[in-house]
Amino acid sequence: MTRAPIEFRQVWKKFHRGELHDSLRDLIPEATRRLLRGRPPLEQLERDEFWALRDVSFQVTPGEALGIIGPNGAGKTTILKLLTKILRPTVGECSVRGRVGALIEVAAGFHPDLTGRENVFLQGAIMGMRQAEIEAKFDQIVDFSGIPQFIDTQVKRYSSGMNARLGFAIAAHLDPDVLLIDEVLAVGDYNFQRKAFGRIEEMARRNIPVVIVSHQLERIAALCTKAILLDAGRVVKRGEPADCIAAYIAGQEVSTTENEGADAELARTVRLDSSRAILSGDRVRLRVAGTVDGLRPDEVADRQIMFTVRELQGGNVLFQTGTQRNDIEFPPSGPFEIALSLQMNVPAGMYGIDTTVWDGHRMKTSFQGPSLTIQVKESIPFRGSVQLNPELRIEAGSPVSSAESAADAGDLAEG
Amino acid sequence: MAHTQTQADEDESDEFDSRLTGLDPSESVGAVDIAESPPHAVEEPRASLLEQLREIVVEELWTYRELTIQLALRDIRIRYKQAAMGFAWAILMPALVVAAGALVRYAMAYLSGGDVETSAIAGMAIKALPWAFFVGAIGFGTNSLTGNLALVTKIYFPREVLPLSATLAQVFDSTLGALAVAVIVPFLGVSYGWTALWTLPLVLILFMFTLGTALLLGCANLFFRDVKYIVQVLLRFGIFFTPVFFEPEMFGAMGAKVMMLNPLSPILEGLRLAIVEHHDLLDPLVVRGADGGAILAWTPWYLAYGVIAAVVLLLGGVLIFHRFERTFAEYA
Repeated sequence: MTRAPIEFRQVWKKFHRGELHDSLRDLIPEATRRLLRGRPPLEQLERDEFWALRDVSFQVTPGEALGIIGPNGAGKTTILKLLTKILRPTVGECSVRGRVGALIEVAAGFHPDLTGRENVFLQGAIMGMRQAEIEAKFDQIVDFSGIPQFIDTQVKRYSSGMNARLGFAIAAHLDPDVLLIDEVLAVGDYNFQRKAFGRIEEMARRNIPVVIVSHQLERIAALCTKAILLDAGRVVKRGEPADCIAAYIAGQEVSTTENEGADAELARTVRLDSSRAILSGDRVRLRVAGTVDGLRPDEVADRQIMFTVRELQGGNVLFQTGTQRNDIEFPPSGPFEIALSLQMNVPAGMYGIDTTVWDGHRMKTSFQGPSLTIQVKESIPFRGSVQLNPELRIEAGSPVSSAESAADAGDLAEG
Repeated sequence: MAHTQTQADEDESDEFDSRLTGLDPSESVGAVDIAESPPHAVEEPRASLLEQLREIVVEELWTYRELTIQLALRDIRIRYKQAAMGFAWAILMPALVVAAGALVRYAMAYLSGGDVETSAIAGMAIKALPWAFFVGAIGFGTNSLTGNLALVTKIYFPREVLPLSATLAQVFDSTLGALAVAVIVPFLGVSYGWTALWTLPLVLILFMFTLGTALLLGCANLFFRDVKYIVQVLLRFGIFFTPVFFEPEMFGAMGAKVMMLNPLSPILEGLRLAIVEHHDLLDPLVVRGADGGAILAWTPWYLAYGVIAAVVLLLGGVLIFHRFERTFAEYA
């Protein structure tokens, strides 16, 4: 049986809460107790201990990118530390095959008194690069960092951004068999972040297994082929990144809407007719099915089913529509199904579509229906908050009629 | 919740059920059954000591040899960068030890009505250097893990590399000092004989002994942060329990034997006897004491004792360090 390069099998990890015996004086009573009573079994929690990971299993094969999401303290970083062999599982098995490239704490080995050049060699060695390899890639690394003029300056004179850029540049030139990424996507200024993200994408596409931990959910959505959602050390959901992100965000939101009169109307399910991941400018099609019962005719007149599209990160409402606005009557008693199609002229990212039943008489939401998350992928590069489906071409009779511009026009037509 | 789902719905991958919005962990688990506590864990049987040694030396240290060198270079660069003393630092500590020793010896000579011979100063210079090496390496080695906590908690590499590179950085300093001493010693009336070649094996024994101690203390200091203070005090007064200022035979026949119990004594005395007294360390040496009695100043058994102490300490240090290494990140 061939095993996946990255494999976690029923891993449990125990941590201590608070201080351990930190001086020799405290050790002696503890050691005596252990001698008298024997070592406690591994699977049992002692006082002040807790499970940081409980029964976590996953595997990542080449070409797959696993995203790990979850609130702070859910165990994401613990998983990465287990993968890098800094920690070992209390129970279970964690195996990683091949050279691990970790985009984690990329400047941790820097010494402030050494120059950028000296630190490149030091940090490179810490990350497991050979001396000759660093020498060969040195110019590329410096070039990537974008600070060649400061390479012989002591690192203590660097700004924090320069520090991080140099660190990332070193890590970005590892040639790993397995890639682990932890929150390094927020490095440097806007331009460097784009460059860094491009580099990570490039590394992730090398048909090697990748594990990414990030709170930048749209990055997870864009890079990962699958995801797990952690909460308090447990895997609470696994599957498509979009599903896990949706579940995560839904779990994070404090439920403010009480389903008052929930017995009256139930929008049970949302069925997606189109793909969950669509290109910017394409249509997403969905169906909402439910049941209406127990509403008086005069109440029905005030109700409408609303659809709200919002950005997952930030939660801004982008668009809202509903039955009334489309001159559709609220369905009568009994089961119903509503089809909706939306043209997603929005930038790439994660979007949520919520369904609610609005009570126009009392001016409040009377029922919170299900939500779904869709991922919009970039179709054409652009800047801005709406995608206006540009059509651009050079018409005949332009003043410059060289062979070059003709070629450009050809490119545009193809694109 | 009013809207419950059937198992069949869940299997349709494109269907979004409303329970996702509620995210009740007990419901949304899906494929994974979560137990409250793990199954009974059997601790992995530990590999044989030989197997562990092979793993440490071949798989870890050899693979990470360039890191060891880089870290040692880092320590050396930092020590000489922005430093007023520069390379004089390398001989400051041994020079101070010799000066202090000369003072003590002068007082002793004055009381007994004798004179301080220049060869005695040469002997002290030769012994001050390994002592300074030991003190320096242990000082840096004890702090090598706690001083690199960012690395220990965040990046994987064999942790043995840290005390090892700290010791190697000290080797660089002491080599500079040794060159200085080698030049000075002939001016103190000592000529080099073939027995001076004993320096090489003795230096190796010293390195092994020091590295073993640095591994143990570096590891201990990570778990118990007061270890470094204890080490500081022991190193400060250790010079009085180690034959640096004086020779063991000054304590009489019995005292000399007790003095030689210090595992550093055979190394230091061996160096002095081989270089200054042109003594072959495979032969015993008997000297006449102040009261005229015979005192055994050297026997090859002392050499064997020094070797055994160094080997045991190094192997023990490496294995104990390796055993606790996996928990470093949790205690750091």
